[in-house]
Amino acid sequence: MNLKTPALPGVAAIPPRRRRRYPPLNALIGGGLLAALVLLALLGVVWTPYDPLKLDLLSRLHAPNAVHWLGTDEFGRDVFSRLIIGARTSLWISLLSVSVAVVCGTLIGMLAGYLRGWTDRILMMLNDALLAFPGILMALGIMAIVGASQYGIVLALGIAYTPSVVRVVRGSVLSLRELEFIEASRVIGNSELYTMFRHITPNCLAPLCVLATSMFGWALLSESALSFLGLGVPPPAATWGSMLSASRTYISNAPWLGIFPGIFISLTLLAINLFGDALRDRLDPRMRK
Amino acid sequence: MFRFISHRLGMAVPTLLLISVIVFALIRLIPGDPALLMLGDMADPQSLADMRSSLGLDHSVVTQYLIWIKSVLSGDLGVSISSRQPVLDLLVERFSVSATVVLVAVLLATLLAVPVGLLAAWKQNSAMDLGLVGTATLLLSVPSFWLGLLLLYVFGIQLGWLPVIGYVGFGSDPMKALTYVVLPIVTLTLVEFGAIARMARASTIEVLRLEYIAHARAKGLSEGAVLWKHALRNAFAPTWTLIGLILGNLLGGIAVLETVFTLPGIGRLMVDAIFSRDYPVLQGCLLLITCIYVLVNLLVDLLYPLFDPRVKL
Amino acid sequence: MNNYVKTALAVALSACTFSMAVAQDKVISVGLNGDIRSTDPGVNRDDNTDAVMMHIVEGLVAYREDTSVAPMLASAVAVSPDGLRYTFTLRDGVHFQNGQLLTAKDVQWTWQRYLDPKTQWRCLAEFDGRGAAKIVDVAAPDANTVVFTLDQANGLFLAAMARPDCAGSGILHPDSLAADGSWRAPIGTGPFTLGKWQKGQYVELERFKDYSSRAEATADGYTGNKQAFVDKVRFEVIPDSASAKAALLSGGVDLLPDVTAMDAAQLKQVKNLQVQVSPIMTISGLLFQTRDPLLKDVRIRRAVALSLDYSQMVAALSDGLSMVNNSIIPTASPYYDSTAHQGYTYNLDEARRLLKEAGYRGEKIRMLVNKRYPQMFDMGLLSQAMTQAAGLNIEMETLEWGTQLERYQTGSYQMMSFSYSGRFDAAQSYESVIGDKDKEPRKVWDNPEALAILREAQREVDPAKRRPLFDQLHRLMLKDVPMVVIYNGTAIGAMGKRVEGYRSWPVAKPRLWGVKLADTSK
Repeated sequence: MNLKTPALPGVAAIPPRRRRRYPPLNALIGGGLLAALVLLALLGVVWTPYDPLKLDLLSRLHAPNAVHWLGTDEFGRDVFSRLIIGARTSLWISLLSVSVAVVCGTLIGMLAGYLRGWTDRILMMLNDALLAFPGILMALGIMAIVGASQYGIVLALGIAYTPSVVRVVRGSVLSLRELEFIEASRVIGNSELYTMFRHITPNCLAPLCVLATSMFGWALLSESALSFLGLGVPPPAATWGSMLSASRTYISNAPWLGIFPGIFISLTLLAINLFGDALRDRLDPRMRK
Repeated sequence: MFRFISHRLGMAVPTLLLISVIVFALIRLIPGDPALLMLGDMADPQSLADMRSSLGLDHSVVTQYLIWIKSVLSGDLGVSISSRQPVLDLLVERFSVSATVVLVAVLLATLLAVPVGLLAAWKQNSAMDLGLVGTATLLLSVPSFWLGLLLLYVFGIQLGWLPVIGYVGFGSDPMKALTYVVLPIVTLTLVEFGAIARMARASTIEVLRLEYIAHARAKGLSEGAVLWKHALRNAFAPTWTLIGLILGNLLGGIAVLETVFTLPGIGRLMVDAIFSRDYPVLQGCLLLITCIYVLVNLLVDLLYPLFDPRVKL
Repeated sequence: MNNYVKTALAVALSACTFSMAVAQDKVISVGLNGDIRSTDPGVNRDDNTDAVMMHIVEGLVAYREDTSVAPMLASAVAVSPDGLRYTFTLRDGVHFQNGQLLTAKDVQWTWQRYLDPKTQWRCLAEFDGRGAAKIVDVAAPDANTVVFTLDQANGLFLAAMARPDCAGSGILHPDSLAADGSWRAPIGTGPFTLGKWQKGQYVELERFKDYSSRAEATADGYTGNKQAFVDKVRFEVIPDSASAKAALLSGGVDLLPDVTAMDAAQLKQVKNLQVQVSPIMTISGLLFQTRDPLLKDVRIRRAVALSLDYSQMVAALSDGLSMVNNSIIPTASPYYDSTAHQGYTYNLDEARRLLKEAGYRGEKIRMLVNKRYPQMFDMGLLSQAMTQAAGLNIEMETLEWGTQLERYQTGSYQMMSFSYSGRFDAAQSYESVIGDKDKEPRKVWDNPEALAILREAQREVDPAKRRPLFDQLHRLMLKDVPMVVIYNGTAIGAMGKRVEGYRSWPVAKPRLWGVKLADTSK
C-alpha cells in the first residue's frame, strides 16, 4: 500500500494512481450549487417572477400551477418569489453572523493565546461558560431584549458562535507562537502587536476558513430554528426559516408551503457541507475536528 | 484518575457560578416580567403590584440572586411561576423525556453509523463508498425539524399510523408510549447518523493508511480481523469525541424537535419559560444543562484512553 | 428472563382489561392550548384554568348566553333602593360534590376567604375598595339568605361577581381546604368533579352524578340547566395549534374549542367534522400613542382610520366570520346599537387631504406587532399595506409578546396592533382604554370628559339609563381617534361529527355540560 499521502478526512481522497489536476467532485458540486444559489439571491435584488410582498387576498393557498410555479402562501404571495428574496436575506444574515463571530473570536483568541497568563485564564473561563450555554436560549434571550430584527439575530448568533472561533484561533496561536519565525520577528524588533497580526494571523486562516464554512451552515439552520420557535426575522423580509415556520399551520392543506423552503435550506446546507469538505482537504489535510 | 476527576469537577464550579450570574442577569434584562405576562392586558397597577410581591419580584436583583443561591445550596430550586410545580420535579420529569429520545437516538445512530463508516472506508472510492458518503452528507444537510415535519405528515396525517400529539410515559403504558417516541427518535437518528458516519469513515481511512495496519495485513490477518481488531478501536476515538459534542449540544437544540412532536421535554420547557419569563424554571434548566455538559465532557475525556492508548489522562 | 416475561404479560393483560372497562364510559376529549395552573378557582389562574374550573364550581350569579347577568346558585337577587345592599336567596336542595347541602354559611365562608388578602384572589381589587366598590359586610341571617353590603352604589357589582377570571366567584365547601388551611381540592356544586390531573398532559373531569340542576329546560350560558351527559371530560394539553389541528383530523381529540378562522375554513370541508362559530367580546385594533410628537395630531390618526378598507381587512382576518366594528362595544353586547354601528368610512382622498393639511412629510411611523398571536400580526401586516396607498410610511417592528406587553403597559410606542381580552360589560370595555395617562400610562384615551361619562356609567344600575351614556362615549371616540377598533373575535369550535349539543358563545369558554357523544363505532 502506498503510504505517501495520509488520508484526507471526510472526503473521497484521490487514489495515488489518478493524479488529475482539477478539483474533486464535492468541490464541484458544492461550489456549483452554492454559486447557483448566490446568483439566484443576487438576481432577486433586481427581478422576481412576482412581487414577493404584494398581498393578493383572492389567490390564497393555491397549489403549484403554471401561473405560480411553487404555489401561493396564506396571503396570496408567490412562494417562488419569496424563496428568492428569502435566499438573499437568509444568506446575508448567515454571512453577517459568521463575520461577527470570526472578527470577535479572532481578536479574543489571539489575545488569549498570545498573552497567556491571567488574561488567558479569565478569557477561557468566560469562553467555556459561553460554550456550555445552550445557544438557542442565548439567542432567544438576546432577541427578546434587542427586538426581533435582522441585526438582533446577527448579534445573537454572532455571540453564540464566537466561543468556537476563540477556541480554534487560540489553539492555532498557541502552536504557532513557539515557532522560530515568530522568535525571529521579535528579535528583529517588531512589536508584539505587529508580530501578532503580520505573522500569526495568516497562519490561522486555514482552520478558521474551515470553521467559518461550518458556521455558515449552523447560522442558516439556527435562523430557521429561531423562526420556528417564534422569534424570526420580521416582515417584510422573508427568510426561509420564517416561511418554514409559517407553513406548519397549513401542513395538511398546503404542504407545498413547507416542502419548498425545506428543500432550499437542505440544498444550501448540502452545498456548504460539500464545499466545506473540499476546502478542508485543500487547506489543512492534517486537521481533525 | 481520581485527581483528574476532582480537578475537572473543581474547575466546573466557577463555570457554574458564572453561568448562573449570566442567566440571572440576562433573563431579567428582557423587558416584561412574569407578573405582567400573567395578567396580560388586564394588568392594572394594583393587581400588578400584588402579583409581583407574591412572586418575590419586589426585591433588588442582587437580593433575588442571593436568595436564590442560598436556596439552591440547600437543595431547593424554587417553584415554577407558571405552574407552581417545584422546579426540581419539573426538571426531572422533562429531562427524562428528552434524555430518552436523545440517548436512544444517538445510540441507534452510532450502532448504524460506525459499521457504515467502516464499510465505506474499507471500500473507499468505490460506488458504494460514494453512495454512502453522499447519503450521509445529505442526511446531515436536512434540517431536523423539517425532516420531523415531513415524517409527521406522512406517517401521522396521511397514513395515520402514528399519533400526532402528546406523550405517554413508559411507566403508565409502554406500548402506547412507544408509538409516541418512534417518530422523534427516528428523525434524530437519521440526522445524527450522517455526522457520525462521516466521522467514522474519515478516521478509519486515516488509520487504514498507517503502518501497523500494513503490518497486520502482512502478518496474514484477514481483512475482517484487521478492520475489527485494529482499525475500529483507533478510529473510534475521534468519533467518540464527536458523540460527546453531539450529546452536549442536543440538549439545547432539541427544543425545535420537541415543538414539532409536542414532546414534554426540557427543550420546550426552556423555550416556554423564556416566553412566560418563568425565572426559577429558566435558572434551574440552565444549571442542569451546564452540569450535564460538564459531565458529558468529563466522561468523553475519561473514556478517550480506551480508544486511543497514546493519550494519557 | 422468566420474571421479566411474566411482568410484561401482566402489564399487557391489565392494560387490556383496564381499557375494556374504560370503554364503557363516554369520554370526550377536548384540546386545551396550555396546562391549567392550579385547581384553586380564581387564585393562580389563567384562561385555561378558568375554563376548566367553571365546570366544577358555580357562583351566586352567572352570565347568560347573551352576556347579561342572572342568578345561578341564587334563586333571586334583590337590590335595595340605595344600591348598597344585595340580598341573595339561595336555591333549595343544592348539593356540594361531597354530598353536603349548600347553606348561607358556606357562601359566607367562601367570600370571607376570597376577601382575605392572604388568599391572593384574582378579583380582590374589585371588591376591597381599590376598584369600583368595597364589600363592607357579608352576612348570613338565615340558612338560605346572604346579604352583601357595599359602601357605594355600583352597577357592575353583579357583573364583577360573575367574571370567569374569578371563576365566577364559585362557592366552595370548607373541606376544599386541608386542616392546616392549605389548598386541597375544589369541592364545588358544578356538574363535574375534578378527576386526574396529569401535569403538562391532561386534566380529567368526571360527571357529578348527584348534580342539583336548575329548573330551566336547557343551559343558558353559565346558568340554566347544566346537566351533564358525558361521563368524563378529558382536557388534553396541546400548546401547539398545528399539532392540535392534526390531532382533530386524526381523531385523537374530539373537540377544539378555539381554532383560527383560516383553519375553520379548511376544517369545514372535512367530512367528519363540524364547526360552530360565535362572536366573542375580544377587541382587536390599532392603538395610537396620543402623546407622541407625530401622532398627537388627530388629523394623522384620522388619516390612518380613513385609509383602511375595513370590510376587506376583516373578511381576510376572520375569514368572513366577523363583521367590521369600529366601536369598543363588542357586537355581541346588548349595548351594541345603531350608534355603535357607526364607524369610519374608507376614503383615501380624504386621508391624503388630512395628511397634507397636517404637514405629514412621509415620516416613519413604527407599529409594534408580535408573532405569538397571528391575528395581531396579520392585522398589522394588512394595515401597513393599506395605509401605504394614502402615503403613510408605517414600518412594522416585531417584538416578542412579553416585550410588547411591557411597552403597552408603559405607553412607549407610536402605534401597535393589539387585542384586548373579552370584557363582558360595556363599561368594562371602555374602562380598559380610558384613563389618566399620568397615573396609568397603559390607557390609550386620556380625555377628562370621557372619563366623567364612564364613571357615571359605572355607577348607574339601570340599563336604559346607561345606553345613552355609551352612545355618547362612542361618538366622542370617533371624534378623538385615540385608537382604531377593527373587529371582534370569534370563538370557533371544531369537533367530530359525533359531538352533539356543543355551542360556542360570547364568553368564549368551552362548556361540556349538555353535550352528548353520539353512538358510532370508534
